[in-house]
Order: sequence, then C-alpha cells, then structure tokens
Amino acid sequence: MEHIPLNFPFLAAALLVGISFYIIIFKKNLIKLIMGIAMMASGVNLFLVALGYRAGGNAPIYTDVPEGPMVLPVPQALTLTSIVINVAVLALMLTIVIRIYRHTGSLDSEKSRKLKG
Amino acid sequence: MKFILGSGYTFWNPLIWIIVFLVVMVMVYFFRRRGQKGYKKGTDQARIFLCGEEVPEAEQRHIRVGNIYWGFFETLKEYYNFILKPHTGIINDYILWFVVAIAITVIILLIAGLAK
Amino acid sequence: MASLIAQSPILIIAIPLAAAFLIPLIGMVSQKARNALVVVSLVFVAFLVFALARDISINGIHIYTLGATSPDLTIPTGFMVPVRIILEVDGMSVFFSIIWSIVSLAAAIYSLSHIASETGQTRFYTLLMLMVMGGFGLMYTGDLFNLFVFLEIASISGAALIAYRTKFADTQEGGFKYIVVSAIASLMVLFAIGLLYAQYNSLNIAYLAQVIQYTTLDKIALALFLIAFAMKTGMVPLHLWFPDAYSVAPASITGMLVITSHACMYAAFRICFTLYGGVINAPVVGWIIIAFGLLTMFVGVTMAVYQKDVMRFMSYHAISQLGYMWIGVGVGLAVLGNPQLLATFGRDAMSGGIFHILNHAMYKPLLFFTGGALFHYTGTRDLTKMGGLAHKMKWTTILYMIGTLSISGIPPLNGFSSKILIYESVYQFHPILTITGIIVSILTLASFTKAFHSAFMGAELPEYKRGKEVPRSMIIGMLILAAGIIFVTLFPSLVVDWAIHPAADALIDQSAYINAVTGAIP
Repeated sequence: MEHIPLNFPFLAAALLVGISFYIIIFKKNLIKLIMGIAMMASGVNLFLVALGYRAGGNAPIYTDVPEGPMVLPVPQALTLTSIVINVAVLALMLTIVIRIYRHTGSLDSEKSRKLKG
Repeated sequence: MKFILGSGYTFWNPLIWIIVFLVVMVMVYFFRRRGQKGYKKGTDQARIFLCGEEVPEAEQRHIRVGNIYWGFFETLKEYYNFILKPHTGIINDYILWFVVAIAITVIILLIAGLAK
Repeated sequence: MASLIAQSPILIIAIPLAAAFLIPLIGMVSQKARNALVVVSLVFVAFLVFALARDISINGIHIYTLGATSPDLTIPTGFMVPVRIILEVDGMSVFFSIIWSIVSLAAAIYSLSHIASETGQTRFYTLLMLMVMGGFGLMYTGDLFNLFVFLEIASISGAALIAYRTKFADTQEGGFKYIVVSAIASLMVLFAIGLLYAQYNSLNIAYLAQVIQYTTLDKIALALFLIAFAMKTGMVPLHLWFPDAYSVAPASITGMLVITSHACMYAAFRICFTLYGGVINAPVVGWIIIAFGLLTMFVGVTMAVYQKDVMRFMSYHAISQLGYMWIGVGVGLAVLGNPQLLATFGRDAMSGGIFHILNHAMYKPLLFFTGGALFHYTGTRDLTKMGGLAHKMKWTTILYMIGTLSISGIPPLNGFSSKILIYESVYQFHPILTITGIIVSILTLASFTKAFHSAFMGAELPEYKRGKEVPRSMIIGMLILAAGIIFVTLFPSLVVDWAIHPAADALIDQSAYINAVTGAIP
C-alpha cells in the first residue's frame, strides 16, 4: 500500500473519464455510447470515493473502531446515491435504444437518425 | 397603483398605449362608415380575381411554407450552407461541441487568472 | 396557517411526490379520480407557492432544515458548520417556482385531453408529477448535492415523457438524445461538486460561499458547472439536441421542459452569483456569457426562419429568447464589481433579463400548446401540409396571435416591456448587443408571420373541412397562460416591483443568502 503514490486513484478516474469521452465522441454504435456513459459514471464515482480517503484511515463505522483517523463518509453516501441514479439512467437509455432499433432497424447513430437541421 | 414601468432611461406606460389605440380604432370605424355600402355576399363581387385567369383549387393556390421568403434564403445561401453543416443530428457531434466549449472556457478562465 | 407557511418548502416538494405515488393506485380504480387528483394537488401546490412568495416578500429569506427540532436550526449547538439538508428559498427561487407552478398546472389541464387517446396515461401523470417535484427541488435546494439529485430526477422523467408516444420513431430518438445529454451534463456537475467538496469539506451553498477561495480547481469547477448547466439550457453551440428533443414531445411536456431549461439557468445563476459571488472574475465570466448569448440569439432565430416543422421552429425560437436572458444577466455579472455602473444600468439589465424569463415562461408554453393543438387537429407537425385552419380553430388562432405579438416584442404586450428594459440598459454596456437584439426581434416576427400564414391563413383545404375546435381542456390550459400574459401586459411595473427587483437584488447581494444560514442560530 505504501508503494502506490497517493494520487493514483485520481489519475485512474481522470483516465476513465477521458477514455469515456473518446468513446462517446467517436464510436457510432449506440450500445457503445451507453457503455461510454456507464464508464464515465464509474470514473466519477471512483473520483468521489477517492477524494474521501485519509492516509491510514479506517472505514467510517463506529462499532469496534480501531484507533486512528477515519475516511470521510459523506463522499461514500454521495457515491451510493450516484450509483442508484445512474442505474435508472442506464435502464432508461437501454429501453429507448431497444425501441429505436425496432423502429429503424439500425444501431448506428448516423443511420438511425431522422431529425436533422 | 402606478402603471408606469421605468428605469433610469426607459418610460413605458401600457395604459396610455391602449387608450391611444382605442381612440385610433374609433376614428378608423368612422372612416369606414363613410365608405360604399353596397356589397352583396355570395355574388360575383366576392369572387377572387386573378387578372382574368382561372383560379386554381385551394390546395394549389395556398403558398406553402417552403416557398415563403424565397428571396431571403437565396440571398443568404452561403450563410445557411455554413450554419446548416454542424446541425447534423448525430449525437456524437453534440458531445464534441460540449468538450470544445468546456476546453475554451477553462483556458479563458485560467489565462484570465494568470493575467490578474 | 403560519405553521403551514413555515413548513411550505418541504410541502411543495412532498405533495407532488405523494401524488406521484398515489396516482398508479387510484388510476387502477378510476380515471376521473386520477385526473382530479393531479389537478387538485397542482392547485394546492400553486396556492402554497403564492403564500410562500407573500411571506418572503414580508419576512425575507425562508429557511427550512430537514429533520431538526425547528425549521431554522441550521447550526446546532456544538457545530461550526451547517449540518443537515437545508432548503433555502429567497426572492429568486420563489420567482422561478411561481412560474413553474402556473405552467405545470396549465400543462396538466392541457394534457387531460391532449393525450386522451393514448395508452398508459397513468404512467404519464406519474412521470409528470415526478418532473414537477424535480423542478421544485431544483429551485429550493440549499446545497449542491440535492441540486444534482433533483436535476437528475427532472431529466429522467422528462426524457421518459419525451419518448411517451412509442409508436413514432422520432420521439424515441428525441428522448434518447435528451437523456444522453442530460446524463453527461449531470455527471460533469457531480464531478465539479466532488472538486469543491474535496477542497472545502462542505456541500452547503451558503457555507461554501463564505469559505471559497478562487483556486485553479475552483476555476475548473466553475467552468464545468457553467457549461453543463448551459448545455441543459440550450446555449449555442451546445443547442443541437434542443430542437430534436423538444419538437417531438407531447406539447404539454414541451411547455414544462422549457421551464426546466429556465430552472437550469437558475442553477447557473445560483452558482455564478451566490456561490462564487465574492471571488469570481466578474468581467471575464460576464463576457463569456455575453458572447455565448449573442451567438445563441442570432443562430437560434436564423435557424428558426428556415424550419418547416411547427414545433421545431418554436424550439429554435426558445433557444434565441434564452439568449436574451443570458445577455441581460451577463451584463449584470460583467459590471458586478463596479458599484456605480451596477446602479446605473447593471441592475436594470439583470431586471430585464429576469423579467424576460417571466414573460418567456408565459408565452412560450402558450405557443407550444397551440402547436400541439395544430398537431391534435391535423395529425401532423409538418407546416407544408397545413393551410386555412383559422376557419375552424378560432380560439387557437387568437391565442397564437397573442403569443406571436408577445414573442416579437410588439407593444403593448409583455414581451415589449422586458425587451425595452434589456435594450435600454444593455445599450450602455455595448451597442452591438442592442442592435443584435433588435435584428433578432425582427426575424422572430418574420418567422412567426410565415408560420401563421402557412398554417392558419388561406382558404380551407378539403382535407381539414371536417372537425371542430380542439377540446375544451386544451383551451383552458392555453387560457391560463394567456391570462398571465394579459396581467403582465397591463401591470408591468407591479410585477417588476413585487417579483423582479427582489429577485435581481437577491442575486446581486449574496450576503443575505449567507447570513440566513450561518447567522441563523435560534
């Protein structure tokens, strides 16, 4: 644990968000777009949990707590709420993509569009 | 209660406008009453006159929305070609504009912070 | 009655939520009871909002702390920072919530007959009440994380409502674009909230406004907040999803989604003026907003003249009118640090922008409702197929004319009052803004006249000869908004003194907001 530099999780979160932006901008398949959004959600959740970490801290539970600092509990609550909200968003997006496929027969973001201009 | 909307430079009273409008409408009504009274509905007086040509059906006569303002669109054809190109309808391009806007804003804010 | 008003912020959020959970149960039993529940709960919420507005105009900012022994116990004994979820309602929040309650009531009454022939109406009303709750929460929240949660609630229910008519393909595409854009904007907002929490260990807006220093991470968070909320508002060049999503939705939902865009603009103002108010680099951020606002006004209206689909061209007009509001408030932000200029024209520019928000919220849903009435009558949104509809749809024609004169800024209607405030005050900041605004007004009138001729004027087309005026509840929904327009037309100074100037002052002066939370120890 001491050999990993302390801002490694932040680099991982930034990498996740960056790769997911690349996926959302450059991949035409709608399912890949949804996967990109799920990855971005994971990146932001990782960032939220990582910012609460205090060096050498314990889990923020008061029962039988050992001595020493605790990590911050509020970002963990924020992350749980965010995970639940993102589940709802992803379910809605997948449902709508199923209907788009049934109507237009294609999962390509360029071929399945009818509205432009 | 006062009706005047004013700031340091504007003055706007809707009541005065409405009163003037009603006075003008009354004058218009009296002008119209002095005109000709003989107008029989349903006879040849009420038919559309197109310089003696045949009047087409309502469907062909009605100017559709794509043809109104033709001159305006012809004059600004280059502008419209330029502005219609980004409006593709592809969702990937929408997020590209979002990233570009965030990048521009962050750069402007950071440069302004350094320059201060 | 006094305790009802003391508890009203949480009641205004909780009553639509309770109604949203009761509607599926009652909908299984009887349709009329479900419709009555929707309308009665929205009328009661509107009554509570007006009572709360009157109380705020007398007593100042209204705080509600969830779960404490008394509603103003924001900092309990022994604590240094505000704890618990705090709802803070000041002049700006209650102004937006008045608009939201009136428009959602009109939209619900309109929907009673607009979607009467569709299946799954119970789910429609459930989602509608959830969206109403999300909007109220967005306007009343006093801390950042609830901003994110309520933003997501409003977005998810809005997207599901856009995709309500599942037998068409373009509604699904509009709903998909809306939820993707909303999800990405909300995730960026959450990222920025994380950045602020990491530095200052608090989520409360009033407390953060006290302790914020303008570090590099704060600047990145400000950029993320501003651009994410601006994308939800439809600022050019982030507006590309706006016509796609708003043109295909049922007309009542489009009216409510426009006010959701206004609520996201409220969130952007809250961040720029209240959260970052003391430390922000006001001229730079103000000029960024003004530049985007100019682009928004101009691109919005030139694209609108070109459209052939009635709801799509009204969505582009919504984009360009939102540009007016950005310019008005952007000028106020740009002169925020200069007290002399602020008193001369800054406060008037902000009042003009905020007044324009009120006027736009009255006439834009009215215009969308008339577009929905056209769709209900003819079965199509395509203007090339319509003609001569004024013979049969007399009420819709008159209401469309009121909306057109209002949006173009023709006296005496309310659009003129707010536009002249904006023009006169923004002219002293830089003349190009007024000139662009006047050109945009002219093009707005031109495009609405074009649509008026092609849809309403002319001889009756044979395919539309049967049929009569749209159902009564749709007319009543439109008349509620038209009554609002007439009221603001006749008494603009009353509206400005009671509602607009308190809202502008609440934005300019952030200290009242901070003191209400951190100074309030019972």
